[in-house]
Amino acid sequence: MSTGNATGRVFSVGYTLLFFAFLFGPLLIMSATAFNSSSFPRITPWECFTTDWFGVLISNTRLMQGLVTSIIIGVGVVAISVPLGLAGALALAEITPSLRSALYTVLITPVLIPGVVLGISTIVFWGDLGRSLGGGFSTLFFNGIFLTVIGQVTFIAAYAMLIFSARLQRFDPTLTEAALDLGATPGQAFRKILLPFLRPAIGSAAFLTLLASFENYNTTVFTILADNTFTTALASKVRYGTDPSLSALAVIIIAVTLIGAIVHEAYTRRGEALVAGPAKSGLYANRLGRLAVHPLTVFALLVGLAGFAVYGGMHHESGACQGRIMEGKRAEQERLIEEQQRRMKENAARPQAPAAGSAPGNPSPFGGAFGNVGPAAPPAPAAPAPSGSAPGNPSPFGGAFGNVGPATPSVPAAPPASMPPAGPASSGSAPGNPSPFGGAFGNVAPGAPAPPP
Amino acid sequence: MTTRDVRLDHVTIRFGAHIAVDNALLTIEGGEFFSFLGPSGCGKTTLLRCVSGFIEPTEGRVLIGGKDMARVGPNKRPTALIFQNLALFPLMSVADNIAFPLEVRGVGRKERRRRADELLELIALPGLGDKKVYELSGGQRQRVAIARALAVEPDILLLDEPLSALDLKLRQHMRTELRAIQKQVGLTFIYITHDQGEALTMSDRVAVMNAGVIEQIDDPVTIYERPKTPFVAGFVGETNTIAGKVMSQSGLDVVLDTPLGPLSGMAGGGRHFSVGDACLLFVRPEQLSVQAAGAFSATVVKEEFEGNLRHVFLDGAGTPLRLSRVGGGAPLAPGTSIALSYDHTRSTVLPASGARA
Amino acid sequence: MNAVARIFRDFSGKHGLGVALYIGIGVLVWVIVLITLPQLAMLDYSFRNNLPPPMRGGEADVYTLVNYRYFLFGGGDGLNTLDMWVLGKTILAAVVVTFIDVLLCYPIAFILAHSATGVAARLMVLGLIVPFWVNEILRAFAFRVIFGATGLINGIGLGLGLWDAPVDFIRADVALYSSLTYSYILLMVFPIYNAVEALDRNQIEAARDMGAAWWRVHWRIVLPVAKPGIASGATIVFMLTAGALAAPQILGGPSNLWFTQLIYQWFNDAGDWARGSAYAIILLFTCLAFVLLMMKVFKVPIGAIGR
Repeated sequence: MSTGNATGRVFSVGYTLLFFAFLFGPLLIMSATAFNSSSFPRITPWECFTTDWFGVLISNTRLMQGLVTSIIIGVGVVAISVPLGLAGALALAEITPSLRSALYTVLITPVLIPGVVLGISTIVFWGDLGRSLGGGFSTLFFNGIFLTVIGQVTFIAAYAMLIFSARLQRFDPTLTEAALDLGATPGQAFRKILLPFLRPAIGSAAFLTLLASFENYNTTVFTILADNTFTTALASKVRYGTDPSLSALAVIIIAVTLIGAIVHEAYTRRGEALVAGPAKSGLYANRLGRLAVHPLTVFALLVGLAGFAVYGGMHHESGACQGRIMEGKRAEQERLIEEQQRRMKENAARPQAPAAGSAPGNPSPFGGAFGNVGPAAPPAPAAPAPSGSAPGNPSPFGGAFGNVGPATPSVPAAPPASMPPAGPASSGSAPGNPSPFGGAFGNVAPGAPAPPP
Repeated sequence: MTTRDVRLDHVTIRFGAHIAVDNALLTIEGGEFFSFLGPSGCGKTTLLRCVSGFIEPTEGRVLIGGKDMARVGPNKRPTALIFQNLALFPLMSVADNIAFPLEVRGVGRKERRRRADELLELIALPGLGDKKVYELSGGQRQRVAIARALAVEPDILLLDEPLSALDLKLRQHMRTELRAIQKQVGLTFIYITHDQGEALTMSDRVAVMNAGVIEQIDDPVTIYERPKTPFVAGFVGETNTIAGKVMSQSGLDVVLDTPLGPLSGMAGGGRHFSVGDACLLFVRPEQLSVQAAGAFSATVVKEEFEGNLRHVFLDGAGTPLRLSRVGGGAPLAPGTSIALSYDHTRSTVLPASGARA
Repeated sequence: MNAVARIFRDFSGKHGLGVALYIGIGVLVWVIVLITLPQLAMLDYSFRNNLPPPMRGGEADVYTLVNYRYFLFGGGDGLNTLDMWVLGKTILAAVVVTFIDVLLCYPIAFILAHSATGVAARLMVLGLIVPFWVNEILRAFAFRVIFGATGLINGIGLGLGLWDAPVDFIRADVALYSSLTYSYILLMVFPIYNAVEALDRNQIEAARDMGAAWWRVHWRIVLPVAKPGIASGATIVFMLTAGALAAPQILGGPSNLWFTQLIYQWFNDAGDWARGSAYAIILLFTCLAFVLLMMKVFKVPIGAIGR
């Protein structure tokens, strides 16, 4: 890790690469699943490239309504927390050191205490206040949007404050004195000198507070009451069943984030280059270079790129491929049913044959409960999954997920009526099934090796 | 009494128990170039901030043009301050910087621009109005700061070590320029510096400060040649210090009994000493000269060559001495004993304890 | 009050009356209305019975310890080991996650501060920030995509024949811990970075020059400088992990509850705000006490947090 040391350098570079692989791996994998036509967010096996999940996402009215609510809340949070944060930063910058650390501790505490606690204290306090003022449930004191704005501001204003504090530390207080000396009133000095200096920080603070408000869950889930923000709607969707439209959402958010980050980077670099003087950087020395790295140019370029991708995506037709996959699945299913019927006849002939031996030599752990196993998949075990291939399957992970207890698995594959109940490994939710994965994987339960037929 | 007078009337400034300025009493005439000279921490900047209105005196009054400035904010005083770091507004153009005082007074945009261009003309930077501050060189920024201060149309311009950030060449050039601008606009300049060269070359009068106290106020020549306190004698310029006891005094002529023998000098600050008083004799290195028959003798320790000057370091009966001589000649070998003399009318006798006149 | 008045006068003199009023009112509203009063209201609530609104303020509305008693003893006579175990497990898991984050982030913070330069450093900072901007729900979701029964790891493991039945990473809480570790990396890197950056490179080189092994350089020279940063980052990560709700809801196994989920259940499923408040207070004070204890143990001053 020290310079001049080859092993150290190799370690540094290697570790850095691994670290960023850990940071970006999950995001890349999730993004990739947005383009797989499989109805579960996954990349193995890959079926067809599709952009349909973006359409599914947009047609999710609950999420879209939540988005509107989130935007309203976000605007409110920015409008309150940016001025509050600025007031806090200004107060911190100019009071005596002992008072400063006390005030700092008080103002930073909401960032540290669990969001759940903030949410609860907000609804409890305003509810009490509302009742003692005789307000009914239709008043502001019981309005989810209002409470969420208040609850979020409590700690998000501290984010804004930290940004302003960092900027204020670089402010030269003699500039204010110079303005006063040159005849400005204190108010004029504030407006004409300090505020313009803080302007970039105001932008950053507004952006960051909007983002923090938008993605907050812990506080919001309490304060929003019966309503829904984008994030709470998203959370309940993730908790109770997923499909790749969430991955599509991730793609959009990551794209927006990247564009924002790159434009912000261009903006700060431009600011630094301008302050340092044009001689420092060749890129900023000539007019063309300066134009090329101007934040607006960068922004336009990236948005153009994204737009192009969206246009291309909208005109991509994955129907043919998906049709082939469907066809393959159907053929596979028919073959399976035939095979099963054949075996059932054999079973009927030999009633003492072990019932569990359902999947002779089946190497696939992805139980047949999921009908959308790719065509390349080896012969699936016997359990037929008639509904599996329908998109919108409620839970790809079996019922064991989320907070849903194991007693309420959302078993995707109901045995078809034509199946005899005694069929091998037919019912996923068979009691006594040793697999923790809910019944959907009943036929791959470990400890039930499949004997040859 | 003009509107450009500044009077410090027994001004004392305390920060808690610390006394930053102790009972300053002086009057600066209108149109004067007046410097406060002293080491850092002597209270000169505090005094300047008090005149400009950022600090209220703990005791005493600041009068500008005869008016008491108590509770008059910096923005209401007829002063303009040039900060040590200049405090140019980095987000504004040069013209906007210069026109800022007009902007806050509500002067219209066109008039502001016209006035800014005039001032740029004055400081010999015409046509630079649309530049950004960071595009200027150090010396140009200096002049823009002056122009901005002049845009206030102040009666008094206060300068807080404005040249300290510049390199030596530019600093020397700016001295001449500052003095020229002052003559041209005829304002009172109050200048703060720890650099005696700046203070002595530019000023009409200099106040030497030490530890919050003004030790002496005089014109530069008097400050240099007739220091009134040991601090002034030691701080302004190089000097040789020889300790001794008073043997006799007639008029201002004082004879001291020193380890080098009886030596005479002028009583500093017109003091009258009693026989036996412990005193110090101050002789400038350039006043010492090698003579065949000198007043006393000393041994050469070493000689340093510095272009136009040679510095000879000597030991005179335990007292380290130093003389500067111009011109060539053979160097003096260490260990040589030489006889020295000096013009006693240009040497000063001051009490050894730091008592002031 | 005198001090407040004096500060107000200072502000008014420096920035004008309007700005002074804005700062004064802003800070007071924030501190009192937004921070202090709600916490007090919640504290008050936690000592009350769960009453329907019409009965509130009536005779039955008296202070009681019933909610705290419930946490200790449950409904019956024995100890409420279930809830206490959940709290203990939450704290323990948060400690583990925090510890892993320190181990992961210390090298990166050091590399960022002392090895990376120019474009590489900027890219690293950008790379650290971007994942942090992605919605926390989606971050948790990503780990479900990876660790789920049909997820990537099971897909690969089964495909290669490494194991022959899907491993339940969810039930084993692997997914949850990974996700929590992942989520707060940025909040650990930057405090350590800020602390380590202040270290003079020459000190490291001098130590290497004197023949110190790399681990000794770190132990004796870098780590003492990094300590306040580590303390700051660890506090933030610990508090956020212990207070996390989304990730445990999405990635938690069915029988593994996080303490915040208990609070959530009291509020939203049982409708018992009083008990929920009490549980929130319990969580808050346990976490704060734990952090203060740790700072005492590691001799870190409280003022170092969040800088």
